[in-house]
Parts: sequence; structure tokens; C-alpha cells
Amino acid sequence: MEEADPTVAIAEPRVMAAPAPSLFADYAAGAGGYDELRLPSGELRPHWAPLLGAFEELGLDGLGQRAEEVQRLLRENGVTFNAHDEARSVQRAWRVDPLPLLITEQEWHELEVGLSQRARLLDALIADLYGPREVIRRGLLPPELVYAHPGFLLPCHQSMAARRPWLVFHGVDLVRDTNGRWLVMADRCQAPSGAGYALENRIILARALPSLYRDAPLRRLASFLEAERATLAKLARHHQEQPTVALLTPGPGSDSYFEHAYLANYLSLSLVEGADLAVRDGRVWLKTLGGLKTVDVILRQVGDDWCDPLELRGDSLLGVPGLLQAVRSEGVALANALGCAVAENPGLLPFLPALCRHLLGEELRLPAPDTWWCGEDKALEHVLANLGQLWLRSIAPGAPLLDPSLLAPAQRAELAARIRANPELYVAQTPVTPATAPVLEGGRLQPRPLSLRTFCVVDPEQSGQYRGMPGGLAWVGPPGGPAIKSEIVKDVWVLAPAPQPHVTQLRQAHGPIVVTRDGLDLPSRVADNLFWLGRYGERLDGHARLLREALQRLLEQDQEDYQDDTLEDLLTALELEPPAPEEGPRGRLMAYRSTLLSLFGEDHPHGLPTTFAHVLRNGRAVRDHLGDDSWRVLNCLQQQVQALPLMPRAGTGRATLGEIITLLAAFFGLCNETMPHHYGWRFMDIGRFLERLLNTLDLLKLALITARNPGLPLWEVVLATTDNFTAYRRRYRSQLHPTAILDLLLFDEGNPRSVGYMLKRLTRQLERLPRHSLAPYRSAEARLVLQAFSTLQLADIDTLANLQRSAKAEAALAELLDALREPLAELSDAIAHSHFAHAEAPRQLIAMQAGAP
Amino acid sequence: MNYAIRHSTRYQYSGPVALCHNEARLLPRNLPWQVCGDSRIDIAPRPAVLAERSDFFGNRVLYFAVQDIHQVLEVTVRTQVAVAPRPVLDNGGSPPWEEAVRLIRQLPELSTMEARLFLLDSPFVRRDPALAAYARPSFPPGRPLLEAVLDLNQRIHREFAYDPHFTTLATPLHEVLENRRGVCQDFAHLTIGCLRSLGLAARYISGYLETLPPPGQPKLVGADASHAWLAVFLPGYGWLEIDPTNDCLPGEQHVTLAWGRDYGDVAPLKGVMSGGGAHTLEVAVDVEPLA
Repeated sequence: MEEADPTVAIAEPRVMAAPAPSLFADYAAGAGGYDELRLPSGELRPHWAPLLGAFEELGLDGLGQRAEEVQRLLRENGVTFNAHDEARSVQRAWRVDPLPLLITEQEWHELEVGLSQRARLLDALIADLYGPREVIRRGLLPPELVYAHPGFLLPCHQSMAARRPWLVFHGVDLVRDTNGRWLVMADRCQAPSGAGYALENRIILARALPSLYRDAPLRRLASFLEAERATLAKLARHHQEQPTVALLTPGPGSDSYFEHAYLANYLSLSLVEGADLAVRDGRVWLKTLGGLKTVDVILRQVGDDWCDPLELRGDSLLGVPGLLQAVRSEGVALANALGCAVAENPGLLPFLPALCRHLLGEELRLPAPDTWWCGEDKALEHVLANLGQLWLRSIAPGAPLLDPSLLAPAQRAELAARIRANPELYVAQTPVTPATAPVLEGGRLQPRPLSLRTFCVVDPEQSGQYRGMPGGLAWVGPPGGPAIKSEIVKDVWVLAPAPQPHVTQLRQAHGPIVVTRDGLDLPSRVADNLFWLGRYGERLDGHARLLREALQRLLEQDQEDYQDDTLEDLLTALELEPPAPEEGPRGRLMAYRSTLLSLFGEDHPHGLPTTFAHVLRNGRAVRDHLGDDSWRVLNCLQQQVQALPLMPRAGTGRATLGEIITLLAAFFGLCNETMPHHYGWRFMDIGRFLERLLNTLDLLKLALITARNPGLPLWEVVLATTDNFTAYRRRYRSQLHPTAILDLLLFDEGNPRSVGYMLKRLTRQLERLPRHSLAPYRSAEARLVLQAFSTLQLADIDTLANLQRSAKAEAALAELLDALREPLAELSDAIAHSHFAHAEAPRQLIAMQAGAP
Repeated sequence: MNYAIRHSTRYQYSGPVALCHNEARLLPRNLPWQVCGDSRIDIAPRPAVLAERSDFFGNRVLYFAVQDIHQVLEVTVRTQVAVAPRPVLDNGGSPPWEEAVRLIRQLPELSTMEARLFLLDSPFVRRDPALAAYARPSFPPGRPLLEAVLDLNQRIHREFAYDPHFTTLATPLHEVLENRRGVCQDFAHLTIGCLRSLGLAARYISGYLETLPPPGQPKLVGADASHAWLAVFLPGYGWLEIDPTNDCLPGEQHVTLAWGRDYGDVAPLKGVMSGGGAHTLEVAVDVEPLA
């Protein structure tokens, strides 16, 4: 241990006289820096005292086990910042460290005062910059600093009525320096992300450390979230008693989509994408199954620029055309207002103290590292003369911090030239040596640099004031690095004088996520995604069953004496091209084998990973409509698919297929058990049974009519893939017979695998879908199903008798199967037309045309 | 001069459009030398929402939304405008251009500070050493700013060919520079780019120019068109308009619609619609002198 720094040792009272307990005994914080746990003297910081006993009791091993439990819970929730669509790509889930970051009550108080001051300051600044621009006229800000920033959006000029808040939510990234001061590294003003993750980390840690969490004297998050909800509701201009609040997300392709779904659920908001909304009559409307429904407030998680293709980025498909005009005419309120990115400009930092005095009449509380905005000549010369000693960043939102000292001389000269060419686009900062915190890594506690994101929201009770979230998101990484790239995050505990009671809201979220908004106000897009979730899920199931059967046959063959003829027809059923003829039975077998196993490959157009990717994409898009357990199963499925080798052995492949089939059954079973049987569930069910119907009809036609090698083995496959072997044996107690198979799989309305049953089910589900017109006629989709159903009911079973020997019977069956399939093939489009008809993606009118001389 | 201006735009779509949101900058500005009478706005189908506001630059913007299913959208704006000559410029006070570059960054006076927006890059015009190099022969050391600007205006008129088939809206400035051809909008952007690349402030102006028929022939209806030129900021004086397409200082024949950093800020009509498929566009402009 290093020698104690006497000044710090005096400043922090030595409460912990005893030697460090075992869990922390080996923890060696870096010398000379600031550590969250250890004083420079080597003793533990006194504010850890209330928790030391409990953590000590756990010990290193116990903590490790809890860390594993945390990871398991995270995986179940499917937490990931980096939600790629490809089923097999590695998803980078982060780790939540089992040790929270502790902040004392007093320190938090000071921080909160500083943070809410900062939010007030930036709100006033934004209002001024999009209004009178006093701060520019009075020379408090150089014009180029504002005008050159990509976040300053001219269309937002005067877009908000006076005294409406621009900055409803404010996020601040902080780093503690070696003196223990928190320094502001960045302001998040457009759509600060991470509050949902903070909430989730808290819930997960509370579950992994139940007794420790329950007894710990720490501030709970629920009251902040309650304030958030109240503030959003208060923004409404219309329907103030019961406003509709929606969370606008860029969609499942976004890095933070999980968080959006999580927050929307927690705060009971409609999760919507740009395409779900339309501006009409100056108001914003949500397209639902029941028609258009007004939205009064939008919590927007889409960047400023992308929100309105009419006035902002014309190429954006994430926004809503006319949104800014709807804001101007106060038809809708946004949190945050459009244009707030202008306050994320790091070039503002050196000017904030003066701005704070001018706009608020107060001294700025939170310090930032020394910063130079290169747009001023003196600053530019200073920066260029000291390029190796400073950190550099572009003022563009989200630009990374550069350390020019790491650059080769030529690169550094190039950077200097770039700065000189556009000096107003760069800032330089004094490097910060970050404080460290203990992080469980490699089985022991190690000191790691930490950043902290805090959140403020407009106080719903005191106008013009802000309230801080007593907690936040802490992450391991170099200062100025993005949270999104971090591999380890920490929960943030703000200590309170005594343990605080649980608030029910937080507990509620432990249980299954309550599915709401599933009636007529279900967004059409969600209905669409649920329908396809059903279809692709069923398609995956059908393929997995056929492939499992084929691999089973393959494994049963004697390699030297290959004689099973069903493989060829199974390839057809799986839509695979038969392999080129090979010499000898062994060669043929190997060719079949590799053709079948190619379905495990990622690049196969209807291979398992591709089909699963569709399942996952549609699943993610309706994340807030699936129960937690269903979601957990979907995650397990993803792990199964991800774990598949590109070309597995036939035995391994067969085993995995078994798992996939079971998990799919679990998934749909849970959906049936937990989703309210409203429209959303119905669309999923229709998707499933439509897909299954088509697959069953195709399989029957293949096995009984078009097969190259018809007969017993193929009939067995039909029964096995539909899992009807047992039912058949019990009922007919006989050899396989085509007429009996038809009876079981075509006509028996009591057998869930039969065409008759499925048609009945589709009819019932379609009858219960919303109808747009009051006309007494059946909808197109109902007519199609009715057509198929009557074809089946009117079929003359006698003509199908003696199928094996009568060409006439075979022709009659072929005709029947085709007559059943034809209307069903049109059903999908008919449903889409009646229910999912979202307007086409909006397009830009190319009005720009050059004139004459 | 008094003019009656009619600007008609007609979009025809191949498919039905269910909803469209539009923004038009078709109402001329009121200026010390330009007074607008009432405008008559005809939009078919009738828009459900119609609102006028003023944008960041003080241009008049018309927002409208058409919510009925339509396959043709017609927008016609008629305005009577009286244009007087611009204030006369006193040439004597023009400082060397380098001095102007320095002054614009230092004068604490309001109009100068606001002009600094027009020193910077904008979506259609980026500063570029090649543009500075092109402008350089007009800007030898110590030359008075006004003289240099007029020389640049003349050179662009002389060295560039007017060619409506060469460029589109998407043609980048460096291609215009390399090929020495384009239309009024390209020349305005090019001149703005040259001036900004030297450290001067310049803004884009959209409007109309009265065209005269060949001697002895009647003027054709709808034969006029929108026009574009620019203004450069002279510290201590204000904005000076120049028209590189015609190598002139805009006068009574130049009717000002709107100004901004570049074309993107002042597009006469833009919109986003749902549906519609492909579309065709017809524009007709008349600038009719009134007695």
C-alpha cells in the first residue's frame, strides 16, 4: 500500500479503524489517484460502512455467484445495447457488476443541485437560441459557435410557445477526477438514453442481492419515474385529464430499442415508430386497428434531425412528416423539444459560467475540464501549440474524444491542418485522470475507471425546476467514451439515512410484464409484426420437424447399403435441390447429408438461421407485447441457434432441432397462456395456423400424390412431422393406410393438426377481428376461409377411397388439395390489406428545380 | 416597377396520394425597396390546414396539408409587387478585401454578427480551396472589396456557359467549376462558395426576373421563370446583391422572394407525401409589368 496522503486522510474521518475485511483485502487501488472504495491511506471510505458487513459475508466467491446470477437475469431479459438482427451474430450483452457505485447523501445533494441548475441553464439557453438570440447579440457567445453546430436547426426557430420547457429530460455524463470532483464530460439533450437501463440494473441487482438490497439504506428510483410520468402528462395541451403519451422509437434496428420497450412498459406508454404516426389537422394520430387515435405527448427517442422529413432531414424514414408544424401549432408536445441538440455542443463549456450568470443570475456549480473552443483565434493558437498535451473532439453530437499524443507526427500534422481549415468545429480539453472503482473481473476486485450518467426531469410540481434521478448508469471505460461501447456497467446507489420502503411500482415490474394496449388501439404495425411472428415461428417449426425426420433417416442408414428412398422426397418437402448423382450408396448418402446440413448455414435463403432471424425481428418489434417468460424462451432459442456450428454433425443437428421444436412450443404455449386473447394474440394465432395449414396441405400432396417414392416410409414421415403417430396408432390400431391418414389430418375437426380443425380455428379468429364497415357482407378474408372450409366439408370422401390403386381417386384428392390451397394462398394478402394497410413510407416531393437566367 | 406575378406548380402522380405536407416559399418579402400587395393563393385540392409564418431569415413560409386523396396537386400564388431601385452604393468607402475579412469577425454591431452565419458551410455550399483559387485573380492583395466582388461577378458571367441540360439540383459545386457550365442557381452557389472560401459572408436569394420578349414579338404567357442570385456582406455598409448569371447589380427587374444560406433554405415548394408513385411536374411563372 502507498503511503497515505496526509491532507486527504485528515479530510476523511477514519471511521474504519479495523483492517480491511477479506473481500476487499486484496483490492489494490491505483496509487495517487482517487478510488471510490479506498482512501489513499489504504482504509475503506467510511460511507461503505453500512454495506461492508453484508458484502463481507458474501465474500469473493459469494459475490462471484451473485455476478453469475445477475448475468443470467440479464440474459433472460435479453438486455443488449447492440441488437443485431442476424440470429447467429454475437450479441454483446454487457455485464452488470455486482458491486454498486455508492454515493453519499451529502455528495448527491450537491450533485443534484448542480445538475438541476445545469438543466435550467441549458433550457434557458436553448429557448434563447431559438428565440431572440440575446446571448449572441450581447456577445456572450460567438455566432459561429452556434451557427456551425450541426445541432442548431434553423426550422426550430420560434417553434415553441414561450414558457414551455424545451429540455424536459437532461442527461449528464460525469467523470470524477483525482481530486474527487465530478467533472461534466458531456450533456445529453436530445433523447438522453440510459434511464431505462439504470432502472433495469436496479431491478436485477435487487433480485440477485435480495436481502442486501432490502436492508440497504438507499434512495429508491420509483418516485423519479413517477415524476417522469407526471411531467409527461402535464405537457399535454389536449385531453389534460387523460392524455395519450407515446414513446417514439427508431425501431428494433436501434441500439437502444430494448430500453425503449422497457421504459414504455414501465411508464405505460404506447411504444410507437414513426410509421405508426401521421399528422392530420395539426394533430398527431396513431394508426391503430380501430382507426386513428390522437397522441397528445411524445417522449421521443429519435434524434432531432430525424424527426420530420418535411422540415428536417428529408431522407429520414424514422420521423413523422409535419411533426414540427404540429409542435408549432401546439397540437402535440414533445419531450424533448426539437432542436435541443444545440446544447450538446462541447464548445459551449468555456462560455457556460458567463451564460449562467447572465441567464440565471447564479454561479455555475458543476465544473468541467478546461476547454478551448478553436473558433476563437487565441484558443486556436493555444490548442495548436499544445496539441500533444490536450484531448480533442469535434463539436458534432456523439463525436469521440481523440488523444493526439497517440498519433504519429504526420497524422498529428494532418489533424492540425483540419482544425485550421474549420476551427469552429473543434474543441480541446485538458485530459482528465479518472477516479477508479472496484470492479469484479477475473475473479477478483480490480480498480477500473468509471463514468456516470445522471438524469434530470422537469419537476411536475414546481414549474421551472428539475428533479434528479437518485441513481444513474455508471460504466467502465475511459472518460468521454460512450456508454454504448462499455462491457461493464454498475448500478448507482445513493445512500439515505435509513432503509427506505419499497414502492409498489418497482415491485410490480418484477412480475410478468403486463400486456396493455391490445384492443382496438393496437397499432396496425404491431398487428402486422405479430401475424408474421406467428407465421415465421410456425415455418421454423415445420422446417425443424421435417429436417429432424430427414436426419433421423440419415442416421439410421447403413452407409454401405443405402436404401431409404424417402430422403429424396424429404428434400423436396424442404425445398432443397437434390444433390448431383454420386457413385455408390456411400457417395449418395454423403451428398444427401451435406445438402440437408446446408440448412444450418447462415447464408441459406430458407435455412434455419434465416427463418429464425425473421422470427426474432418480428419478436423484437413487439417486445412490449410479449410476456417476460415468452421473451426468455425466445432468448433461449436465440442461444440455441447461435450455438449451432455452421456444419454440425447429423446427430448434433438432430438434437438441436429437438430443442428448437420444444422451445417453439414453449414460446407459443406461453403466448397463449399469458397474452390477453385480444386482437394482438389473434393475429399471431392466425399467422401460425395459416402457415401450418399451407405446410400441411403441401406435405399431404407430396406424400400422397407427387412423391417419387410413395408408400409406407413417407407416410410415417407425415405422421412423425405432425407428431400424430401416437394418435394414429391409438385410433386405428392398424398398418398405415392413406384413407386413415386423410381422415386424421384432413377431416377430423378435433385434431389440432388437421386441416379441418385449423380452418375452424381461422374462421373463429377472423370473425373476432375488428370490422371497419358495418356492411352485412363478409370481409374478403372471411370469404376465402369460408371457401376453403366449404370445399372441405363438401368433399366426397368416397371418391378418395382406394387411393393406392385408383388413378381416379388420386386425381380427386389432387383436385381437393388444390381447391383448399388456392383461397388460403390469397389469405395473407387479404388480411394485410384489411388490417395492416399502413400508409406507404412517406416520400420527398422533389420540388427543387433550377430556373432560367 | 409594378409587377403582377403568377407562379403555378402542378404535380401529377401516377398513384393516389392520401396525405401530403408542404412548405412553400412563394410569397415575396417586404423590403425597403419592395412592397407586396395581397397575395392570392389557390391550392387544389383544398388544403385542410394552411398557415403562414416567418422563418429564421424572415422569409414568408406557407405551410399546408392536403388530406383528401388526390392525384394532382396544383399550387398557384399571385402577388402584386412594387419594386424600387436598391439604395445606391457609395464606392468610396470600400476597404481592401482582407480588411473586410478581418472586420466582419470583429465589428460588434448586430447586423455584422448576424451575417456571420453566412461565413460558414451550408448543405449545398462548402468552402473549398479550389473555389478560393478560382476567385483569387479577382482578389489581389489590397484590392477594394467592392471592386473585387464586381470583377468576380463579371468573370463568372464570362467564363461559365449557361446550360440548363448540364446540371441538376444534385450536381456538386466542384463539377460546375470543372465544367464551367450550369444555371443561375449553380452560379449563385458557386459565387457564394468563392466568397465564403475567402472568408467573406454571402447569402443566396431566390426570386424572379422580368424577361423581355425579342423585339417585335409578344410576350408568351408562362415563359418567365424563377431566378437566383446572391448578396455579399460589406462590413459597415450591409448586403450588396449581385447577379453573376447576368453580370449585373439587381435592380427593379429583380423581385425578391426569399433568402437563406443556399437553395435548401428557400426552395419554392417542398413536400412529403404518402403514396403517389412517380410524378411529373410543371411550373409556369409570369412576371407581368403593370402600367
